[in-house]
Amino acid sequence: MAKLALTGLTKRFGDLEVLHEINIAIERGAFISLVGPSGCGKTTLLRIVAGLEPASAGAVLLDGRTVRAPGGDRGFVFQSDNLLPWRTVFDNAIIGPEIAGRTGAEEKNRIRDLLRLVGLEGFENYFPRQLSGGMRQRVNLARALAIDPDILLMDEPFSALDAQTREIMQTELMRIWEEGRKTVLFVTHQIDEAVFLSDRVLVLARRPGRIREDIDIALSRPRALAVKRASEFVAYVDRIWRLIEDDVRASVIEEHP
Amino acid sequence: MATIETSSPGEAGAVSRLQVQSPVFSRGRYIAGLMSILAGLALWEFLSRVVVANALFLAAPTQIFAAIYNLAITGQLWPHITISAAEFAIGYVIASLLGIGIGFAMASSEVGKKILQPWIAGLYATPTIALAPLFILWLGIGIWSKVLVVIFLVLFPVTINTEAGLRTTSARLMEMLRSFGATPWQIFFKLSLPSAVPFILAGLKLGIGRGLIGVVVAELFGSRAGLGRLISQSADAFNMPELFAGVVILAVAGIVMTAGFTRLERMVVPWTRD
Repeated sequence: MAKLALTGLTKRFGDLEVLHEINIAIERGAFISLVGPSGCGKTTLLRIVAGLEPASAGAVLLDGRTVRAPGGDRGFVFQSDNLLPWRTVFDNAIIGPEIAGRTGAEEKNRIRDLLRLVGLEGFENYFPRQLSGGMRQRVNLARALAIDPDILLMDEPFSALDAQTREIMQTELMRIWEEGRKTVLFVTHQIDEAVFLSDRVLVLARRPGRIREDIDIALSRPRALAVKRASEFVAYVDRIWRLIEDDVRASVIEEHP
Repeated sequence: MATIETSSPGEAGAVSRLQVQSPVFSRGRYIAGLMSILAGLALWEFLSRVVVANALFLAAPTQIFAAIYNLAITGQLWPHITISAAEFAIGYVIASLLGIGIGFAMASSEVGKKILQPWIAGLYATPTIALAPLFILWLGIGIWSKVLVVIFLVLFPVTINTEAGLRTTSARLMEMLRSFGATPWQIFFKLSLPSAVPFILAGLKLGIGRGLIGVVVAELFGSRAGLGRLISQSADAFNMPELFAGVVILAVAGIVMTAGFTRLERMVVPWTRD
């Protein structure tokens, strides 16, 4: 049985159909990316899976059960870090368990281990305003991992970072993912990021948002950054870019008429 | 204050850059401020003794400090200060608690807000200090008429800021808590309340100046003791040094309390800096 399945998922905002009958099945431990032009509904899709937004039709099934509200089985990594400015790195990371009423010594040790895993050892007592954008996204990731979710939902988590930091964060995410192999649904508009990270890339089309292509990425793991210059890698990026090029052009013209 | 920027410690090791403001520079600014005050006092002394040269119109700083000293050692000053301080403190504490309470009520219920909003907005805009004679008529010339004036002046900025602070909870942060399954109560205590604290403190700070004005003006309308009483008595007797003594003490009290509050803000809500 698929870890996560979307069946006939449709979302309308008033008369506007944002997502049209999306069907996806994701196996346990897979890293799946959703790419597409702006306005293809990829973030909306992720929010529906998270339970932050209701679907207009269709269902989200996690291990065969329908989910409608947020829950501890899904961890959300936000596009903007959404850290509480009055809390330290540690206190931000523990917020999920804290909401669930778990703040014992064991939990605290686990959070400390997690912060070490994401490369924040020694920064536990720093406040968000003292951290760089890349470090804040590490806290964002640790916070989602802290509830030990079955599935990690990531909404363009590196889009606000500069190009170099983003590449570092991609390799860091790979390293962390290899440790636990959680099921990941990753939304991005960066094609090379999607290819580098994923087992499968789902290419979305817009108006309404629907799946245009489901591409298996057959690159061996673990992947080093150098793989981005390999010819197979470039071929994947090229292929995906050709799939969405017209849509991207259309969306650019709409946004800057 | 230091700003630390660090890039990806996992890859490159912790590369931190500390920007600490040079102590020489800040001491320089401190000295400049002190010099400005001293120069101002010197100019005042000069104007008062040489240009105006009439003790009925203006008192020199040295005369004012002498007056404060004399009032203090003869024991006349202390009762004025304690009475005014009591009026201020009682009114300020009542207004703060009441204001935060009403602010909470307005933020947590639409109906509550609809009922209270016109009164709060209307009374905030009204110069309620003009009601001081009425309060004296009702409550007598003792401290309670002044306490009421202080309450009226402090209550509204505190209420309005509390309400605004609780209402401007970030939608993004609320969504983050919701994604972890937070209940409305958890959202209130973990997010709305802490993010309202800077607003509430700003309202309380605004209340200090308004409360002091309330004390003095109410005392001018009628009182037996207090710094306002000292000022009006001295004006009637054309005793400029003692009149200014009252004003200076009030000014110092206002400056000290506001500065203390700024320090408190830095300690309680450090994230609002920069």
